[in-house]
Amino acid sequence: MLKRNLLAAAAAVAILAGMAPALAADLSIEYNDSFAALVENGVKNFEAANPGQKVNLVKLPGDGYQDRVALDLSSGSAPDLIMVDSFLVAEYAGSNYLLPLDDMLKGWDQFQYYSKGLLDVASYNGKVYALPTDTDVRMLWYNRADFAKAGLPDPWTPKTWDDVLAAAQKLKDAGVTDAWLIPAGTKAEEAATMQGFYMAMLGAGSPTGDANRLRVRADDKWIGDSPAIRKTLQLYHEVYVDKKLGVGSDNYTLDFAATNKAFLDGKIGIMASGSWENSCLWDCNGVNVPSQADRDKIVAWTPWPGNGEPGNKTTTNISGGWTIAISAKAPDPANSFKLLTAIFDKKNFLDWTVSGHRMAVRTDIATDPAYTADPFLAKATELAKDTTGRDTVPGYAKVSALVQQATADILDGKSVDDVVKEYHDGLVDEFGADKVVTIQ
Amino acid sequence: MASQTSPWLRSARGPMFVAMLPAIVLIVALIYFTGWAVTYSFTNLELTGPNSLNWKWIGVDNYVRLFTRQGFLSSLWVTVIFTFFSAIVGQSVFGFVLAAAMRGLRGWGRTCVEVALMLGWLLPDIVAAFLWQATTTDIGFVNTLILQPLGFPPYDFLANYALVVVIVANIWKGTAWSYLLFSAALDSISREILEAAKVDGATGLQRTWLVTLPIIRPHIATNMLFITIWTFTYFALIYALTGGGPGSSTEVLSIFMYHQSFGVGKLGYGAAISIAMVLIVGVLSVFYLRQLKEPK
Repeated sequence: MLKRNLLAAAAAVAILAGMAPALAADLSIEYNDSFAALVENGVKNFEAANPGQKVNLVKLPGDGYQDRVALDLSSGSAPDLIMVDSFLVAEYAGSNYLLPLDDMLKGWDQFQYYSKGLLDVASYNGKVYALPTDTDVRMLWYNRADFAKAGLPDPWTPKTWDDVLAAAQKLKDAGVTDAWLIPAGTKAEEAATMQGFYMAMLGAGSPTGDANRLRVRADDKWIGDSPAIRKTLQLYHEVYVDKKLGVGSDNYTLDFAATNKAFLDGKIGIMASGSWENSCLWDCNGVNVPSQADRDKIVAWTPWPGNGEPGNKTTTNISGGWTIAISAKAPDPANSFKLLTAIFDKKNFLDWTVSGHRMAVRTDIATDPAYTADPFLAKATELAKDTTGRDTVPGYAKVSALVQQATADILDGKSVDDVVKEYHDGLVDEFGADKVVTIQ
Repeated sequence: MASQTSPWLRSARGPMFVAMLPAIVLIVALIYFTGWAVTYSFTNLELTGPNSLNWKWIGVDNYVRLFTRQGFLSSLWVTVIFTFFSAIVGQSVFGFVLAAAMRGLRGWGRTCVEVALMLGWLLPDIVAAFLWQATTTDIGFVNTLILQPLGFPPYDFLANYALVVVIVANIWKGTAWSYLLFSAALDSISREILEAAKVDGATGLQRTWLVTLPIIRPHIATNMLFITIWTFTYFALIYALTGGGPGSSTEVLSIFMYHQSFGVGKLGYGAAISIAMVLIVGVLSVFYLRQLKEPK
């Protein structure tokens, strides 16, 4: 009997001990592991400045991150602070999942440095719901050894899609299996929409009147069919089906770090991605990243060209970025905000921005000598002069999912006509026929 | 009626009700979750965005979309191929053949085969997915250890034959169950019957077809019932190995449902897909359960 009681007591103690760290944590934060350096150093500073307070770190891989966050928020079990891709801020704020920050931001002396335009993506109905971590630009990265092997010029400055297709063909002929990787399909998630589809579409139609976008912004309508959408899907079709310049399964890999490695090893010739790759191709958190000079020997980048038709853009760009928000259900908003400002405190934020070669979202950081001295950032910032943003209104996430499905359908070999019809009908299901237009 | 109840039971209604509580809670929970899925399958409820707050009843629209929008039917077809070849043909036949071959065997040979089978079964799905990816890509073991030494150029099996790779991986993973079940079934057949058939002049094939299989018929049906349900709703290995791709080539219904519910965020549509899956598995189960009955 005594033995049984002892066992029961031991089990109870073990269970309580297991629960202790969870009970002791005062705050929790959920974040994408590619931002670990920013978040974890900020948390360290917060804990040092607030003795006795403990922050529970919920670090998640990038693959499937958004599904998890959406589920946590909708079920009401989200941590106090949540890292959110900027395009989802309006979607989540519109669902009442996030806390408006305006009142608290007024009392924070560093808020004045945030660029107004960049706060727009973190706002909904005139209120700020999150603070941006960085912004970005998008481009075509290429492997320099592959280009030398295929006898292609380097530096490379393609002027049209045909130039890129011709280069990819030469790379393929020279033995590069995945000559041009344009993100596609449902597993690549937002990358398929942003790094691939939108970058191409912005150069596939006239830049006036939103004919090269997913949405007619002034009319608040989504575009179900347009020449730009068709031309973009046709480009995917040429790359993945007609000319087989890309390998579809690379968009469905178990481990996207392997894709970066394949690119560095020369198995991928051209990769459509963004400015973060200057560090993320090796490690987003800066672990064992070679010097800039060594990186420049391996890879280089060029702006995405337009499709070459007169009147269209000669180069395209679209910017996104990530943010950190506070859950509407955070029990202690003031303390959560304290942690948020500890993460975005100038020293921590500047260190992370400069060491990770991220594009600054604050004027005090953008004008800091450590930032202005970075040659990569200077060049990327040049590209940011002509950029645009996503259609970040509630509902965009659904449209983006339909775009991803459309690119997946192209990988399956479906015709552009069929894919466009399905895309259009999907939009009508979601928003109603009066909210969907066709551009001739 | 009351007079037939034993006095002991009548006096113990209170304690009996208390004893029944866990079962009642379980049944209510089961009905609640199924009811939840059925209810929301008639709405446009979404995970995020305006429809997460102001969802509407949309009648049978979600069910109509199963047939009018692409995705469900093609995904159902992929699921049928996956289930038929990996479970019904692969695991079941392979499991039976192995069980029959190992029947008379004792010692190291049998132990090695059983350990190998069990390892596949016991390995977590995600680990298995990594292994299969490491085996079948153009830089995988099959290429580096077999094809390239023989002078063949590297070939990416996962990119070009994703569904076949997933089917083979699932046969490898799930054969242990069928093997164990058939081993036990075969052990239950008395040697006298088989020897009598042999004396009567039945060949090996005839003994299997006319004696063994009819005797273990209920076991076959039980095995089919289990592996069909498991395979029809299987998710982890396929999702980790291919994510449903490339394109939609390995997008089985469970992945399609997951993607629609949590990737796109259409909980209502996802619920309709899940109800359709329940119905399909239900029909298959009824078919197998009928097979379980002894022929008259």
